[in-house]
Amino acid sequence: MEDDTSSSLRRRRFLATGAAAAVGALAGCNGLPGGNGGGGSGGSGDGGGTVSLSSFRGSGPLVENRASLSGTRIADLPDLSGELTIYLGGGEGGLYRDLLAMFSQIYPDFTARPREGGTAQLANTIIEEGENTPADVFWAVDAGSLGAVDEAGMTADLSGDVVESVPEEFHPTGRWVGTAGRARSVPYNTNALSAADIPDTVMDFPETEGLVNSMGWGPTYGAFQAFVTAMRLIEGESATREWLQGMLDGGVTEYPDEFLTSNAVADGEINAGFANHYYALRVRSARSNAPLDLAFTSGDAGALINIAGAAVVQGTDQSELAQNFVRHLLTVEAQEFFATRTFAYPMIPGVPPVGGLPTIDELNPPSIDLQELANVEPTLQLMRDVGVL
Amino acid sequence: MSREDTGARRAVDRLREAAFSPTRDGSNRLVAGVAVLIAVTVISPLLWLFLRAAAVGPREALSILVAPSTLDVFVNSVGLVASVTGLSVALGVPLAVLTVLSDLPFRRVWTVALSLPLVVPSYLGAFAFVSAFGPRGELAELLSPLGVTIPTVYGFQGATLVLGLFVYPYVFLTTRASLLSFDTEQLEAAQTLNHGFRSAFRRVVLPQIAPGMTAGALLVAFYALSDFGTPAIMHFDTFTRVIYVQYNNFGRGTASLLSIQLLAVTALVLFLESRLGDAGGDGYGGGVVGTDSPVASLGWAKLPALAFCALVVGLTLVIPVAIFGMWLLRSGPGYASAGIGFQWDFAINSVYVSVLAAVGTVLAALPIAYVSARSDSRVAQLLERSTYVGYAVPGIVLALALVFLGANYFPWLYQTLPLLVFAYIVRFLPQAVGSTRSSVIQVDAKLLGAARTLGETPRGAFRRVTLPLIAPGLVAGAALVFLTTMKELPATLILHPTGFTTLVTYIWRVQEAGYYGRAALPALVLVAVSALSMILLLRQEGDDA
Repeated sequence: MEDDTSSSLRRRRFLATGAAAAVGALAGCNGLPGGNGGGGSGGSGDGGGTVSLSSFRGSGPLVENRASLSGTRIADLPDLSGELTIYLGGGEGGLYRDLLAMFSQIYPDFTARPREGGTAQLANTIIEEGENTPADVFWAVDAGSLGAVDEAGMTADLSGDVVESVPEEFHPTGRWVGTAGRARSVPYNTNALSAADIPDTVMDFPETEGLVNSMGWGPTYGAFQAFVTAMRLIEGESATREWLQGMLDGGVTEYPDEFLTSNAVADGEINAGFANHYYALRVRSARSNAPLDLAFTSGDAGALINIAGAAVVQGTDQSELAQNFVRHLLTVEAQEFFATRTFAYPMIPGVPPVGGLPTIDELNPPSIDLQELANVEPTLQLMRDVGVL
Repeated sequence: MSREDTGARRAVDRLREAAFSPTRDGSNRLVAGVAVLIAVTVISPLLWLFLRAAAVGPREALSILVAPSTLDVFVNSVGLVASVTGLSVALGVPLAVLTVLSDLPFRRVWTVALSLPLVVPSYLGAFAFVSAFGPRGELAELLSPLGVTIPTVYGFQGATLVLGLFVYPYVFLTTRASLLSFDTEQLEAAQTLNHGFRSAFRRVVLPQIAPGMTAGALLVAFYALSDFGTPAIMHFDTFTRVIYVQYNNFGRGTASLLSIQLLAVTALVLFLESRLGDAGGDGYGGGVVGTDSPVASLGWAKLPALAFCALVVGLTLVIPVAIFGMWLLRSGPGYASAGIGFQWDFAINSVYVSVLAAVGTVLAALPIAYVSARSDSRVAQLLERSTYVGYAVPGIVLALALVFLGANYFPWLYQTLPLLVFAYIVRFLPQAVGSTRSSVIQVDAKLLGAARTLGETPRGAFRRVTLPLIAPGLVAGAALVFLTTMKELPATLILHPTGFTTLVTYIWRVQEAGYYGRAALPALVLVAVSALSMILLLRQEGDDA
């Protein structure tokens, strides 16, 4: 992409430092030189004025041979300029801080003030703060939290051109939009099983002969509980109870979390497991020859897709900047960042997921209100009753 | 004037008389007024709970409060409080006696090592335990080829064990303080009167150290009641876990109702304790300080005693540190890269805010401790007891209350250090009140009288006589608050100034992202910095044995 027409000085300056950052990323260094976007060699006028996509891209075996990407690029958008307080909820906060640092490098006039916390905690915080909230943007790893803030009337309408590139189920009210997805999946050991051995329906797992005494799961992990919640909502309580009991009777092995579950599948300790899709990718990123692949069920709880997403907080005095910021999260560069560094599902069709995964519109997630996944208490009761917890 | 009014006035008069001998003047009234003001200020944020609970309709509220699951967690929580307190006393008191009264070898080293579990945050300690003993844990992996399976660490026993092991130092330290100020000649006298050590201990020592033990046990009990991390990691269902689940589910009304129920349990425990506590003395004792020569020779029991100390230190320090070390060596969760490098600034921030909290809390505790030490009246007792309220509610409850109040009524304070420090004061006030109060009790009022006769103003007498005498109590309180602030997570995470990263918020950040290895360094720094301050704390104890 050598065709950028912007003559912005600061973007040329980023090119100089961006290349250095890319080298750092390839060498496996931690993070970016904090806040010294002023590079030094800017202003020479011959930098070409492009934003280097490679500095957003991660590294490793999964990231080689990326197809050409399409969608809105950072260069197509107005500059970010000003100060933005971003409530940054949950998990990948460390990585999201990297992206914010890159934005600040591109735009020296842009200052992001991230405030981290548990996703639900920050949602509660915004609701308690009410109209006096200092937050301009709420960026959370969980749809339930976005939904709660939305229901409390604390989110502003996103303009149509911000959300248009994202499938509708990931911006149901138009007041928050998914920025990256995570899919439930079935990691399986390719030495022991083939894709055809994995049932297409999650409810069939307990009755599947080939999986007895060879499955693993992480019932204490939040994403697993969300999956059981989805099952409870779709199939009903007693079917879910039977399913859990059936898995227990089938000798399922418990792991502390889903990364270790996926790792155990790769080691051949178990033949298959239940895990968020990106854990298998992380295993494969570290061990490219691991005999590990992913299967997906269809249209049921096993195919649930939850999202990280962003909302502009109602009453911000930085409305325009906040909208423009959310738009930046949906650029090719940011989506490539999520896809190649966290192995998340990109939200725009022009950026495919890594590792040969089906694209998001090829998956068949259940139709379920993601916000209802927050109602985890009955799920925990159920899991305790059965003896899973 | 109504009868209640006269009653109240008489109570205040008595309070003042008792508290401020030898003279009465305006400054006495001022101290009492300041003490009441502080207590009220500290409790007031929790009124927010009633505001939120009011959103729940009365019928729904009743059904929540008597739901079988609520009763379950009620029973679980009370059971956990009882068992953790029991375990802490069972560990803390013998260890205190061993390190103060016996001829245990290396007493000083053991004293420091046995106090250190207090600085291991329970969310790290519990995590280390699960990593070591849990399903697929290090120990299980190590033993499984040998065909050995270890019993599950999860559930009631696991939660009791982990909480007890990491909070017993409250009992250990307060009991030590009592033993150190106990006149050992009494014990020797009892022994010469043909009582064996055991009988002499029961008849002479135990009544004297009971108030100190009780103070520590109360701190343990309410810690167990309000802790979230450990029961959650150990899969044990308590009030606090359910309150957290409700907040995660945006059921703020239900969470508030349950928190109010939790406060009712707190009040009940305080009431029961005050009934029991009246039987004992009135403080941590008050006699000859220091026991240069141990009074009990361990004899054949020396080896078992050493083994006991080593076992406790092994479980509470060696295992977590070893696990942290293993995390350091282990690779991350397979991300490409992440800009979450450790900075020493985080440690400086932690120490800075903890020092502010320690100083602030001691200043707030001083008037309350002074009034309650100098008076036996109900009002004075109530004043002291009220400080436990903020300590007994889960941190998230207090933090969200301060979010609401701060953002909407004190926007100029919101997300600033002063408000964060205020949150710490609310949470940790009783830790400082306890040790300060006991040292005020030990000050002989006659000394003050003498100073006044020699022409000192009340303020001068306080500064020149009282203050130097109670300094060790103040320092001990400050150190306890410092340590607990260093490891406090929920309020810090919610109320910190934007951009202000501390060791615990950093540990939280990397753990959330799955980088357990990256948590090792800050965890070790946290333990090391806290250990240094623990050594300072123990020096202030006047323990030169």
